[in-house]
Amino acid sequence: MKKSQLLWPAAAFCVLILNGCAMQPVQAWEKGKLAQPAMKFDQDPMRKAFLEHVYASKEGASGGSGVAGGGCGCN
Amino acid sequence: MVATEKKSVTPAGSSLLAAALLLPGLMHLAQAESPPEQSELSFKFLSYQDSQPGLERIKVSSPSLGLVTRLGDHWSVSAQATHDAISGASPRYHSAISSASQMHEERNAYELGATRYFERASLSLGVNGSKEHDYRSQGLSLEGKLASEDNNSTWSLGVSHSDDTINPVNLVVVDAKKRTTSWMLGLTQVWTSRDVLQLNLGYTTGSGYFSDPYKIVDNRPDSRDQRTLYLAWNHYVDAAQAALRTSYRYYNDSWGIKAHTLNLEWAQKLAPALSLTPSLRYTTQSAVSFYYNPTYDPVLGAPFPVGYSFGNGQILSPDQRLSAFGAITLGLKADWQFNKDMSFNLALDRYQQRASWRFGGGGSPGLADFNALMIQTGLDWKF
Repeated sequence: MKKSQLLWPAAAFCVLILNGCAMQPVQAWEKGKLAQPAMKFDQDPMRKAFLEHVYASKEGASGGSGVAGGGCGCN
Repeated sequence: MVATEKKSVTPAGSSLLAAALLLPGLMHLAQAESPPEQSELSFKFLSYQDSQPGLERIKVSSPSLGLVTRLGDHWSVSAQATHDAISGASPRYHSAISSASQMHEERNAYELGATRYFERASLSLGVNGSKEHDYRSQGLSLEGKLASEDNNSTWSLGVSHSDDTINPVNLVVVDAKKRTTSWMLGLTQVWTSRDVLQLNLGYTTGSGYFSDPYKIVDNRPDSRDQRTLYLAWNHYVDAAQAALRTSYRYYNDSWGIKAHTLNLEWAQKLAPALSLTPSLRYTTQSAVSFYYNPTYDPVLGAPFPVGYSFGNGQILSPDQRLSAFGAITLGLKADWQFNKDMSFNLALDRYQQRASWRFGGGGSPGLADFNALMIQTGLDWKF
């Protein structure tokens, strides 16, 4: 993969992280909103796994959001 | 855990923290890595039907059962089993209806996992497998997570490996193998009290039999390297009491596919027990370098590409999923929490794939539109 392809999202992410560090770190008691189920990255893992499986079997691209499970699902 | 927080807060802050930790849900976040407080049994039933104009293609009915439970203070285990009943027709090249091959089969899949929790870290081991009459897969995965002292950053590193054996009924190959190994490095970062970010870098390398044995003139390379960059951002919108979940994935591989995928979800609370989540996904991909358009040899006819010669092992594929296209999924999910421990959910997703929707144009010509409808119903019980 060409380095340039990774560069802009990586740079954007670094800016966000550095920005976060420069600000006051979020304290435990400020995390009420973040603790809500809707704010989790894996709030419905079975639905996510099913959709990922469908996309992996109908498209050329796959993966990205977690460590993969196995299987064909070629049809 | 709380002891480490005390170092940085005043006594007043400390008691505020202690009080805050009594609020539901916060304890979980305050402890970097901890087993789930309750066990959870989940049942999902999905039905899937895809089609192109003039042909209903594949139909799948699939019940799935999952369990996650805590064992003592430091362990959790999980198990999941899925049964797929698959039937219908699949084109044998491009989107040709006339030669669609009828099939019916059953697929069983399982996943087992165990996680050991440490003060600021966790280690998970998983095994998984699936079996169809012509395809067997076995896999192993290992993932470690490490959280910073303030719990605002969590690093993860995962590796998984799968060994597949392919035995198509037409005996094009016998006991063909495919082996893949995936690596993933991730960072989850709490950015503000309303924003959390995730970045994953993935690399997968595989070797073996990648062709589709039921497609004519399908002969793919015997290795494939795939790379992904995945960025997700969840933002809480106070005014609407909603969560906006967005993600972007960049993908490329050694076969020549480059893909961009964008996902947006708006999780809206409508009542204390009811929420509705509309979603939109767009993906665009280029074709693999060995995909050929449905322009056939004037002498040999379909499905052979112009100038095709038999027996020289040319790398070629007429598979629609390896062509250049764009695709849109519109989804809607409803979650109903009917008491403290039980919830019901229903999700509808409509998927549409079109060559003309490829970003910037240049989609593969001559293919039928492809559509799929997915309905998932789920029941979750915490105990």
